[in-house]
Amino acid sequence: MRRSLYLLASLLLLCMLMLSTASMGAEEATGEVLKIGSPNVIKSASILGDSNMGVFAHLSNPTLMKMAADGTIKGLTAGSSEVSDDGKTWKFSIKDNLYWSDGEKLTPVDVQFTFNYLAENYPAAGWMKNTVDNISIQEDGTLVFSLNKPYSRLNLEFATYPILAKHIWESIDDPMEYTNEGENVGFGPFYIASTDLGAGVIYFKKNPYWKGTAPKFDSIEIHTFANMDVLSLALEKGDVDAYYKYAGTYPYSSIDKLKETGNFEFVEKDNIGLIFLGMNLMKEPMSDLSFRKAISYAINYSEILKLDALGYGKVPNAGFVPPSMMNFKETAKLEYNLTQAKGILDGAGYKDTNGNGILEGKDGKEIKLTFLTRTDYQRPTELMVDYLKAVGIDSEIKNVDSSTWIKQKDAGEYDLTITRSTPWGMLMHANWGTGYFDSRRTGEGVLHVLDDAKFHQLCDDILAATSEDQLKDYAYEVQDYYAENLPAIPLYWNLVETPYNKAFQGWYSDPLYGIFNVDSFLSVEKTQ
Amino acid sequence: MSLTGRKAARYFIAIFLIITFNFAIPRSMPGDPLTNLLGEDVILSDSSVQELRSKMGLDKPLWQQYIEYWQSILRLDLGYSFHLHKPVSILLQDRMKWTLLLAGPALILGSALGAILGARAGWRSGSRREKVHTGILLAVYCTPPYFLSLISLYLFSFQLGLFPLKGLYSTGSAADIAHHLLLPAVMMTLFTLSRNYMIMRGSVLQEKSSLYAAFARAKGLYDEQILFRHIFRNALLPIITLLALDFGFILSGALFIEIVFSMNGMGSLIYDALLSRDYPVLQGSFLIITIMVVSANLLADLLYSRLDPRVKWE
Repeated sequence: MRRSLYLLASLLLLCMLMLSTASMGAEEATGEVLKIGSPNVIKSASILGDSNMGVFAHLSNPTLMKMAADGTIKGLTAGSSEVSDDGKTWKFSIKDNLYWSDGEKLTPVDVQFTFNYLAENYPAAGWMKNTVDNISIQEDGTLVFSLNKPYSRLNLEFATYPILAKHIWESIDDPMEYTNEGENVGFGPFYIASTDLGAGVIYFKKNPYWKGTAPKFDSIEIHTFANMDVLSLALEKGDVDAYYKYAGTYPYSSIDKLKETGNFEFVEKDNIGLIFLGMNLMKEPMSDLSFRKAISYAINYSEILKLDALGYGKVPNAGFVPPSMMNFKETAKLEYNLTQAKGILDGAGYKDTNGNGILEGKDGKEIKLTFLTRTDYQRPTELMVDYLKAVGIDSEIKNVDSSTWIKQKDAGEYDLTITRSTPWGMLMHANWGTGYFDSRRTGEGVLHVLDDAKFHQLCDDILAATSEDQLKDYAYEVQDYYAENLPAIPLYWNLVETPYNKAFQGWYSDPLYGIFNVDSFLSVEKTQ
Repeated sequence: MSLTGRKAARYFIAIFLIITFNFAIPRSMPGDPLTNLLGEDVILSDSSVQELRSKMGLDKPLWQQYIEYWQSILRLDLGYSFHLHKPVSILLQDRMKWTLLLAGPALILGSALGAILGARAGWRSGSRREKVHTGILLAVYCTPPYFLSLISLYLFSFQLGLFPLKGLYSTGSAADIAHHLLLPAVMMTLFTLSRNYMIMRGSVLQEKSSLYAAFARAKGLYDEQILFRHIFRNALLPIITLLALDFGFILSGALFIEIVFSMNGMGSLIYDALLSRDYPVLQGSFLIITIMVVSANLLADLLYSRLDPRVKWE
């Protein structure tokens, strides 16, 4: 027994020793602190190499432009912008009152450096090498981007890249691999004081050289949680003051519980991303427009909205694009009509000749589709399988992880899939969701299955548009194209719900990054 | 060849094969480290994709990658993670420290307590106290770790406010780390304890009906003496086997605890690496696990020969 006691005592001593060697020097919060809880876990302290860190870093390193609440693009680091009539020259005047957190003044040279540097070293900005001929600075400090072709979306693209300090980043060869868990020099109202991966917290401190509207907090902390249930408990308990998830909402099923506490209010916005049924248009029978139309009638949109989004949204239009996007066009509402679905299939030659309840394709073989899906979309996938069965289309679910989904999707080893578009996803490429379908582009979340010259031309026209009127016309054309050709079928347009503690008021949400934007953190204040 | 030589050769071959599997298995899964690297809403041109593949060494033939993999291992270089932007050796060092701090004491304490309490329960089988203990620990044993951890978090952290809801630490002091780790460590200890308790209880139940136990009693030894001097030693053999297995998987076994308590440990590192096909991290982690499993088995072999005279090392 005595030996056991010695053993236990030694064990405790070992634990103490390990604890003392593991002790960390973490940030001590001082003054008024705003705490945000997020399920967007940071894996590495790299503002260009970690997508979640990149979103949070916008507070420290704001973008050149920003998206306003109404979806229009306005200046953020830039005071103003203008584009030439031919769409090939863009000018941005840089605000004169911006300072880096180390006291250096932000100059147009920093902005010029940022875009040259990103074009060369950051794969996601590689398109600039093929589009931007030159970035120059006029005598009055205006930054001039000379393009080799008209590019209508340049200001929108510049609402996503953080502006970097030349005097810091010019010595960093590979920005994707650069990590910094300490202080990151920024010029926003707050800068990143440290990133503590062990504690799961990003600490922002007030930029002492900030000359704009004074923030009401001394520091901001982003607390990341690997478990959504625990994050909900942290909100309820008051460990965090508000919730944020990029391109996502607070779980609908947990909203009522938060409301019951009486301590929370919600920023409620229409999502510009959406959940949709993707189809492999390179394969039969999905390449048949009649088949796609029949599927669109086979889906019970109200039910899927009720079961998958608990009613937080609405039945979509055939035009795919949600009303919250700029230049939305009202197209036909998608409709659940089994008779119509069966009629279209029958008329198109899909018949059940042997009477077993399963339709045969035009080759005479029974249709059996592969439904590639990920766990996030399990429920709508199961519903879809039932809907298809009701019109005689057999399908089997193939459940895979994200990497397998990407690989099989790119290899075309699927017939149907349910996926989502993010806000930026809807805006990328030629806007209005085109990036998800254009077969000339590739990417992790995109389907690139639309190999139609008419659609490609439309995308190119949008990219080369030189006026807002032109853009609007093309936007309408794209939505008409979607409605007529159904390259994908939206399942519902949902709401983004962002809870915050009532004691903190003044949240401002934009369609691209939700409440995580500079304006929001300048206007939020503690009222109780 | 002597028995030691044969055993050494066996271990050597096992290590060679496992290291080769460590290379092959991640690559047999669909996708590669580039598949899930940049985020779902980034579009790239084909030339950018090729550039990245080349940078990550994925454009080389598989045989060349295999040779380079062995060369790196022999240089003790575990490679570089393009997902986490750090050399794998630094990542492993950082994560292992926390996982060992969480799971190490839990494993040792859980095994020790499980063995002692299980032995007593087996010896006093049928008593009211034993029935209550067994009932409680059976319930723990049958409950999914994720669920029980969430319940404990809800009760002790949310309702009673005794522990923090997440993370390895807040301020970083030793007391703060202990405060953060206590609840997850207790949960892990409970799971290890419950399993070892059940096994030890069964083992003692079997041993106590042996002739040598009856002989010890006939000699006039007290219960405690019979149990801990004679039966305990023989009943301990299955626990040693389990301990050797647990020791090997100590690094990856805390995954659910890490997810519930938002901790950056080895479990979540391996899980994320699997999802993102981060070959270097998977290879490095598997290599460490391999070394631990083989060492633990070697140790178990030695312990077996010490505890049971029927098992000869040489």
